[in-house]
Amino acid sequence: MKIGFIGLGIMGRPMALNLIRGGYPLAVYARRKESMATLIEAGAATFNSPAELAQATDVIFTILSDTPDVEEVIFGFRGIVEGAKAGSIVVDMSTISPAGAIEMAGRLRKQGLEMIDAPVSGGEIGAINATLSFMAGGKPEIFNLVKPLLECMGKNIVLIGPHGAGQIAKACNQIVTSMTIAAVAEAFTLARKNGVDPARVREALLGGFAYSKILEVHGQRMLERNFQPGFKVQLFQKDINIVLKQAHDMGIALPGAALISQYFNALMGSGDGQLDSAALLLLLERINGMGENEGK
Amino acid sequence: MITKLGFIGLGAMGGPMAENLLNRGYNLYIYGRRKEALMPLTARGAVACDSPAAMAAKIQVIFTMVTADQDVEKVILGREGVIEGARPGSIVVDMSTISPSTTRRIADSLADFGIEMLDAPVSGGPMGAKDASLSIMVGGKEETFRQILPVFSCLGKKIVHIGPNGAGQVAKACNQTLLLITLQALAEAFTFSRKNQVPLERVYQALAGGSAHSRILEVMGQRMIDRDYSPGVEARLHYKDLGIIMEEAHNLGLMLPGLALVSQLFNALIGRGGGKEDSSQVIEVIEAMMTGRG
Repeated sequence: MKIGFIGLGIMGRPMALNLIRGGYPLAVYARRKESMATLIEAGAATFNSPAELAQATDVIFTILSDTPDVEEVIFGFRGIVEGAKAGSIVVDMSTISPAGAIEMAGRLRKQGLEMIDAPVSGGEIGAINATLSFMAGGKPEIFNLVKPLLECMGKNIVLIGPHGAGQIAKACNQIVTSMTIAAVAEAFTLARKNGVDPARVREALLGGFAYSKILEVHGQRMLERNFQPGFKVQLFQKDINIVLKQAHDMGIALPGAALISQYFNALMGSGDGQLDSAALLLLLERINGMGENEGK
Repeated sequence: MITKLGFIGLGAMGGPMAENLLNRGYNLYIYGRRKEALMPLTARGAVACDSPAAMAAKIQVIFTMVTADQDVEKVILGREGVIEGARPGSIVVDMSTISPSTTRRIADSLADFGIEMLDAPVSGGPMGAKDASLSIMVGGKEETFRQILPVFSCLGKKIVHIGPNGAGQVAKACNQTLLLITLQALAEAFTFSRKNQVPLERVYQALAGGSAHSRILEVMGQRMIDRDYSPGVEARLHYKDLGIIMEEAHNLGLMLPGLALVSQLFNALIGRGGGKEDSSQVIEVIEAMMTGRG
């Protein structure tokens, strides 16, 4: 089984390296040539287009920014379908719209190709340490074929259901994480406005029913006022927009996610799109007219 | 002086608007997907065209009144669309409610061919269309606006040139923001009243005389009291407008928390199957949140 990998950004690059470490020779493609350098050093073969890469491989991983990017790489000019052999498997690990994932799987099926949607959670750190969570959608027999490959990149690997189900699970993940970040930011704001040390509040809460990974990680970032990404506001805004589009199309009310999306809009509008999503704290402080040192 | 007009889209709004133009003596050329919508107008002398392109080859000023962004793009820029028949100097007046960015894109494509465009969305609903009492919010060049103003005067009362292409749609988005948040406020106020077992009719009467008075209170308030949700404005149309505005806010990095909440209630309303009923049913969604099991 020969493996291809398309998309070597913050997430893709360490994931591809982990596949090589797992003992799989890798073929790679990226739009920006310079992002392939590390992979070439590690022994990966490079190709000039997704089509050429697809011709030489059986399983092709993609991890890109948004639905149109994935469509372009698969169905666009010199895209995967122009080169792929019958029976090849496309594993898309990008976070895209569930409807888009279902539609693409159908189009690939017509050309005799298989697809798995397998978005991830765990961020850059998870990608580097191979501790990502994978939420997969597709046929069980295809999932089982690629599972050993996913195990090189992550730990918690779950087949959620048919095509698109992985993206739905990821949407659920983003709802829970974004609203929790906002909840932590509100809690810390309440503490500070009352002259209470948010660091001690966090410590206490970590031992109780309000414990969460977000309180632990993002809470710490907020205390340190360290807004280096992490997972950027810009990407979270995109992901929540996917969630809300799906909610709109299906006629589902998600009032909390809708409010968070407006926070992200505001951060984007004030030029904070490249900060970590812990920057939701800054927004709460702005709404409440708080300076950085108030209540300290 | 303009004597001949093209009109595309003869639905709940476009139909009565086209009729008003006939009443005022314009020679009208029409196009619509559903042939039965054309009949009452052809019976009165309007000429049916085979396609927007065929219409544009004959007529220099063309009005469009269709539902969504992709409908406007299709009749203007699509196959057999206006652009395939129109000559330089022609004017397209789009009265649909669509996104400002789509409007600007279409205006740019038309400008490449020397064709002018106005965006001229309206407020006032089917009633206003029938009575020629619409509010019309116009984006585009001042001189083009002046050329078309006499035609607008046959369709509405309050006609304002807002600014360049897209500005009319921005004004319409402001209109919908205000209207839909007010609608939710009204639904919450009435729910408060009902939960306190205070007669709604009296609250309504009192509020209508005070600083909470609004057109929404007047029209939608009565529907909420009667629980009569026959449209009016079908909720699916407001739901569509909400989608446009929220997308625009996303692209601009603009926070609209109130409207975001309203749009979720409309999602629920659509999911419950209420799309073809009046938007005043939003009060039912709020009440449903407080209704226990069973």
